[in-house]
Amino acid sequence: MTKILVVAESALRELLRRRSVLLILLLLPLAFYLSRRGDYLGQSIRFVCLGLGWALSTAALFAGSAARGMEPRLRLSGYGSLHLVLGRLLALWTVGVLLSAPYFVLILVDQHDVRYGAIALIMALTVAVAAPFGLLLSAVLPRELEGTLVLLTVVGLQMVMNPANNITRALPFWFSREIGTYAIDHTDGGYLSRGLTQGVAVAVTLTVLVAVAGAVRLRQRRHLRFA
Amino acid sequence: MNHHAWLAALTGELRRHGVGPDLTGHVVAEAATHLRESGEPPLRVFGPPEAYARAVADSLGGPDLRPPRRQPGPVRLAAQGVTKRYRGRTVLDRVDLTVRAGEIAAVVGANGAGKSTFLRICAGMLSPDAGTVRVHGTLGYCPQDGGTAEFLDPDEHFVLVGAGRGLDRGAARRSGRAGAAALDWAPPAGTQTRHLSGGTRQKLNLVLAGLGEPDVLLLDEPYQGFDRGTYLDFWHEVWRWRDAGKAIVVVTHLLNQLDRVDIVLDLTTPGERRA
Repeated sequence: MTKILVVAESALRELLRRRSVLLILLLLPLAFYLSRRGDYLGQSIRFVCLGLGWALSTAALFAGSAARGMEPRLRLSGYGSLHLVLGRLLALWTVGVLLSAPYFVLILVDQHDVRYGAIALIMALTVAVAAPFGLLLSAVLPRELEGTLVLLTVVGLQMVMNPANNITRALPFWFSREIGTYAIDHTDGGYLSRGLTQGVAVAVTLTVLVAVAGAVRLRQRRHLRFA
Repeated sequence: MNHHAWLAALTGELRRHGVGPDLTGHVVAEAATHLRESGEPPLRVFGPPEAYARAVADSLGGPDLRPPRRQPGPVRLAAQGVTKRYRGRTVLDRVDLTVRAGEIAAVVGANGAGKSTFLRICAGMLSPDAGTVRVHGTLGYCPQDGGTAEFLDPDEHFVLVGAGRGLDRGAARRSGRAGAAALDWAPPAGTQTRHLSGGTRQKLNLVLAGLGEPDVLLLDEPYQGFDRGTYLDFWHEVWRWRDAGKAIVVVTHLLNQLDRVDIVLDLTTPGERRA
């Protein structure tokens, strides 16, 4: 546990020291929110959640790429791949919570007649999904530009595709539209349970995939034996 | 003073200090390589030719004041039949290396001979096409570059790597600072790695490799960017590690220290050697 916490602390320090990146991360969801603030308040909530997801995924993508040079050394120094993955995830989830909190307060102040608990749930699931999603992209696509383009594609599709279409359920942030409809339009609990199920499933799947990708990349090679 | 004038002056000074022609050739060639690759002015990198020649002569020809070496201990690293091919080209062909506790092995060879590849295979970061590596004990690795986090300061690096070795924060910081002091470096508190010079980053890299007292140290040209004094400090540290019973493998193209190592693994192919 100590090793996970030390990795998390170091990763958090690294993230918090990138001040300009943090500022952009903080403002990106606000831009999404304000873009629909004038015409349809409910839509602005959906957009701000997607903005949070995009911002945190991007941060995770770059954090994962930046850690690549250091991780083999840490592995040799006695860390397991799971220590490294979980530590970094813990740091990113913490940043995600810190990032989401002001937007939840903004919605509390600015929006009325919505289900705040459900909105908090969307934000929690967004944070839970976005961190492993970005890390997974950094593991699969070693070059940051390619990862960023994939992120752009996913979030773009999430915005333009009809959420009723079955194929959109494969998108990682589909739950935000579904639970958003429950929170904003006061629909029945089916929206909530479908969204919750998909969100939890995606979060768990992505976390497992990141752990597997880390274990494969940082595996002890077969030719090397420690006596 | 430009590179050519400085190298010519160094040649004369080395001769004046009684360094033989072969060794002079090696030292001058290595200095030229370093200057060409770094692009830095020679006076800044090595200092005046006379002072550098004196230091080289002292380090090579002066009385050896180090304590007598102990007998080598048990085998710590055994690489057997290591073979690696890249795109049909054989870079390493059935390479063997055995290093015991208390021994230094130098891996030498021309650019592209596979020195770093061999070390990465020994560290388990790269799989060979054939061969095995057996390590008895723990492993420390210093890469040629990278291996540090841009936004962390040296103390935070010590804590991060030290935790993997089972050191608490205080012990990791103390151990890291002691290793830095051996290289005549006092890590500035709060200065992130991205603000350190290339040579200072390599000092950090080297200290991290030795943190937690690993039994086997794999050092991939760790002196890139070191000034003359630090370069000599580096070799003294390597010898201290050897005397402490560690097995050390150093990738080097600085041939002037080969008389101070126990094993030389030359990866230059016979054809390349003739050329």
